[in-house]
Amino acid sequence: MSVFGPFQSNSSRAICLLALFCLPGKGLLAAELSEFNGVFQIHGFLTQGYVKTTENSFFGESKDGSFDFNEIGINASYRLSPAMMASAQLLSRTAGEMYDGSLDLDFAQFDYAYQLNETSRIGFIIGRSKNPLGLYNDTRDVAATRPGIFMPQAIYWDRVRNMVLSNDGGQIYTEGQFANHFFNLQLFAGKTPIDENVEKSYLDPSLNPKMEQDGVTTGGRLLYEWDGGRIRLALSNASLTLDSQTSLIPPGSIDIDYWVLSAQYNDGPWSLTMEYMEEPIDYRRFGGFMDVADTTVDGYYLQGSYRLQADWEMFARFEESHYDKHDKNGKKSSARIGLPPHTFFSKLWTLGLLWEPTEQLMFRAEFSQVEGTIFLSNLENPLPNIKERDWNLFSLLVSYSF
Amino acid sequence: MKIAYHAFAIGLLLCFCGTAQSIDLVINLDVSQETVSRNALRSIFSMRMTRWPDGKPIHVFVMGDKTNLHSDFSKQLLGVFPHQLRRAWNRQIYSGMGQAPTKVESEEEMRNQVAKTPGAIGYLSEGNINERIRTISVE
Repeated sequence: MSVFGPFQSNSSRAICLLALFCLPGKGLLAAELSEFNGVFQIHGFLTQGYVKTTENSFFGESKDGSFDFNEIGINASYRLSPAMMASAQLLSRTAGEMYDGSLDLDFAQFDYAYQLNETSRIGFIIGRSKNPLGLYNDTRDVAATRPGIFMPQAIYWDRVRNMVLSNDGGQIYTEGQFANHFFNLQLFAGKTPIDENVEKSYLDPSLNPKMEQDGVTTGGRLLYEWDGGRIRLALSNASLTLDSQTSLIPPGSIDIDYWVLSAQYNDGPWSLTMEYMEEPIDYRRFGGFMDVADTTVDGYYLQGSYRLQADWEMFARFEESHYDKHDKNGKKSSARIGLPPHTFFSKLWTLGLLWEPTEQLMFRAEFSQVEGTIFLSNLENPLPNIKERDWNLFSLLVSYSF
Repeated sequence: MKIAYHAFAIGLLLCFCGTAQSIDLVINLDVSQETVSRNALRSIFSMRMTRWPDGKPIHVFVMGDKTNLHSDFSKQLLGVFPHQLRRAWNRQIYSGMGQAPTKVESEEEMRNQVAKTPGAIGYLSEGNINERIRTISVE
């Protein structure tokens, strides 16, 4: 018997995995393909928004009414076998001064899942994949999956969207259904694409900050669902370090730790969602100049939706964000850092209406009353303009997906 | 008076039976399963479970969201509204984690597709099956 004998006879599963790595197109792949022709699908979406604000700029020159808000995506997926799938999506996103509509590779991944038994599996993903954070991050740019025209900014900041959007690396995951309980755990590690939005949010734009990621972003999500999603609970995390150079102060690095706690209750036409985010930020070095900015950002939202008929839904949402979780009105942060208190928090009330006349088409209309400006982008509201404390936001959206 | 009350109750019951149609879960003849659990059924129709216990790929067929048959199927057998099911599909399709089910336009097309696609599962109003497909019961 050769030295590989026992290994071969007892570990056919390990061999299968090895074959996948070493011999693509052979072995396992061929065996599974012989009884399966593969399924190829193409999907996409086209979204156009309109934003009007009484003060400040959000998604374009919104005081004059802005159409600088659109999203176009197209994806292809090929299921090679029940266990293997390759997929990729291209995305163009325009969001005022934050995103200019240039074409991005949103994800491009290969997914392999090993079935442990009828209802549980374990698998991995390699390539560029979306980070599972909270209930919505991995499809945050797709209107058909969002809970409103905009993502709740208290959790899913548009001004630093790229920081947690996706990673170039890999994920391992496992999921299983046990009686009425469903568990899913996804862990990811990889490089995060950092952009100007992130640079000019974590350091003052006048410092001309340039950032590079030190190491990789690591994180994951544990999701629990009861009774087919009647109750959904999740705990998510992503942590990363940004090495930063500026034109004025010595270089330093910023440690960011992003935690999200999510809960959702679905009952017939009702849906109640709550998510809470905490983000400790630690500025290191910078000659000590940035120590004063160390903080724990927090935010939460509560949303209640009601399905009126098959096509219509209405919702109400309240969200609140604070630059410092111990300083809800921003006064201490203002005294420390020097900007007006209302730039350190936001409170939003939103009422929204959704109409889905067909499976592909959706229309939304929303009105928000806002106090504070923490979620507004510095790129869209550059100094020396002062962001106004009290403002209203009206928005419309039409989206087609297939 | 008592008789009138009973007549009313029976009438009400008939009313409900009339609106909520009975549904047969149907599969291709090559699927060896005899029964499926409600949880496995949810995993199948939310496109998370991609193969039968014997390893064969599952192929899911559905009617349009707005058809009474799909709406009744979603609510009665899966316990979710059609729009919730669609959001679950969308979350998978647009994150690269899964694919969409195949949509059919009529019960006749459903019957034909399930009959000719190995590993297929779908649904029909009660009594609409023929000898080329069979029903599977939910545990």
